[in-house]
Amino acid sequence: MIRDWWKHLILTLGVIVVIAPFYMMVSYSFKSPGEIDRGEGGFFGRQELMVDERCVKLRDPNRDDIAAAASRFPGQSDAEIRDVLVAKAEADCAMRPVVFNYSKAFTEAPLLRYLLNGVIVTASIFLIQVVVALPAAFALAKLNFWGRDAVFALVLFCLLIPVHAIALPLYIMLAKLGLTNTYAALVVPWTISVFGIFLMRQFFMTVPDDLIDAARMDGMGEFTIVWRVMLPTAVPALLAFAIFSVVAHWNDYFWPRIVVTGNRDLFTPPLGLREFKGDGDGSFFGPMMATATVIVTPLIVAFLLAQKRFIEGITLNGMK
Amino acid sequence: MAVIDASVTDASRETTMARSAGERRAAWVLTAPALILMVIVLLAPVIIAGLLSFTNYSLGNSGFDWVGTDNYEKLFTRSTYEKMFLATLTYVVTVVPISVGLGLGAALLINSLGRFREIYKTIYFLPVMATLLAMAIAWEFMLHPSIGMINRALEATCGTPIEVIPFIANGCTDRFPLWLGDKRYAIWVICFIGIWQGFGFNMVLYLAGLTGVHRELYHAAEMDGAKSAWERFRLVTWPALGPTTVFVVTITCIRAFQVFDTIEAFWPQGGGPNKSTYVMMFAIFEKGIQQNLIGIGSAITMLFLAFVMVLTLIQRWLVERKVHYK
Repeated sequence: MIRDWWKHLILTLGVIVVIAPFYMMVSYSFKSPGEIDRGEGGFFGRQELMVDERCVKLRDPNRDDIAAAASRFPGQSDAEIRDVLVAKAEADCAMRPVVFNYSKAFTEAPLLRYLLNGVIVTASIFLIQVVVALPAAFALAKLNFWGRDAVFALVLFCLLIPVHAIALPLYIMLAKLGLTNTYAALVVPWTISVFGIFLMRQFFMTVPDDLIDAARMDGMGEFTIVWRVMLPTAVPALLAFAIFSVVAHWNDYFWPRIVVTGNRDLFTPPLGLREFKGDGDGSFFGPMMATATVIVTPLIVAFLLAQKRFIEGITLNGMK
Repeated sequence: MAVIDASVTDASRETTMARSAGERRAAWVLTAPALILMVIVLLAPVIIAGLLSFTNYSLGNSGFDWVGTDNYEKLFTRSTYEKMFLATLTYVVTVVPISVGLGLGAALLINSLGRFREIYKTIYFLPVMATLLAMAIAWEFMLHPSIGMINRALEATCGTPIEVIPFIANGCTDRFPLWLGDKRYAIWVICFIGIWQGFGFNMVLYLAGLTGVHRELYHAAEMDGAKSAWERFRLVTWPALGPTTVFVVTITCIRAFQVFDTIEAFWPQGGGPNKSTYVMMFAIFEKGIQQNLIGIGSAITMLFLAFVMVLTLIQRWLVERKVHYK
């Protein structure tokens, strides 16, 4: 421990650099605009009550409001009633900065919708990937058929093509089919995971043939075998692949940016955050950082809960 | 007995034949969806991009003209694309060695520790998990010229002995860099964020590689007179990590080529001050999709694919040659 002090020193410096933007993101999501501007308030800010100017403006009493309230304040002039109403509005619109930031994050933009889209897109991508890749991987690993080597060679070749790199022709194809700005456009290019086929094939190679023969003896067809026998044995590998796939597509910004233009209903979380930034007038740092925190948190929490599995999943392609 | 045997083998041959026919049919049905999707989603686009790179096609136009190699000639003659290659190359050449080196360094340090290993590992891996776009925006605030943490911290050093460093002295008398607004710094900031995000991934791969190094090898090396830590690293650890290094370098390269999120987040238009961060991915996005210049976008796509494929093929070749001296 004492002998190793210099190692800890270096690693701790690294930790500071790595953590800094996370620290700042979370900290700003707690602070009031004033505190962010002046750089004060420590990590949590002072959490003094602040008045939401827009909320007050929205409730600015007009003549009708004052007339309606006149009966409650007998004998007072309109100006006095107005002052009372404004004061009341300000009191109602006062809130802690943390509440302000997070409530704005969810009300200024349909953040819940974005999160839901993120879930829909990542879940459909993963499910389709499995439905397509698992049978193919089984056939490549365990069935003898003419052309198997050619199919496998094709899989190896396709591993060379990063989907992001062919985004432009894919976009043209989708545009020609009139599919841009749909869920389909967000999902289709990812439905085939050659990496998934490769991974599952390598995994199935290790499954003993006896298991499959026994299933055939029981009268199972090849399709039943895939889903009733092979799928259960593949659960650990599938779990790692799920993490790999979900992390990649939850965080993906490039592809959604290309195929979704303007239609907010289809925005994935990163697109929503980007839009928030574009709209920002400078005083909205707090809510924007709250949005960023909300988007980053699910994966980080899941990672902290199941670190081993996550590291295994993310570094999957290191195990070729 | 013999008769029975014969009939049994006959029967089993027949069932094998029947089975193999059924198996063949099943195999094709099972692979068909994957095969069809591979062709439509992966192969067809490559061919389409290849063809379109020789045309002046635009979405919405009914026809197009074949323009020969015009698009490629433009790529190699216009100064915009010169900047594109320069930015991409600068990024790749900076990010790959540094993030691989840091990954290896962190892995070696962490591996040699008895305590707190898991904590360091977890923290260094956080940026890999986090949505890069969100973290890019966080970095943008950190780098904000007036209210950002970084320039505030730098300002705090004014008047302290640290001010003898020329960079700090300049900043104190004049002002500290604008970072993202300054063409001298922009690409390096992008590189820094790339390294920040990626080295934890490399670290984890190296840590996995290190568990495969046999302890006896170190003893043997010590017997042979490898006394210093450096000698042990040079003679045992580094060769044993050969396959890991080949893989780590390749995947870091491919990821580095694809840098986009940070650049689009910082400079939605134009690729940074004086186009100093106009990388290939951004060029494909801007030319092909925003400006609808499909021909030129396809040409960049083809070039990009060529780079990535050559890299991967070199990797596979190295792996097959067994770089790991075993």
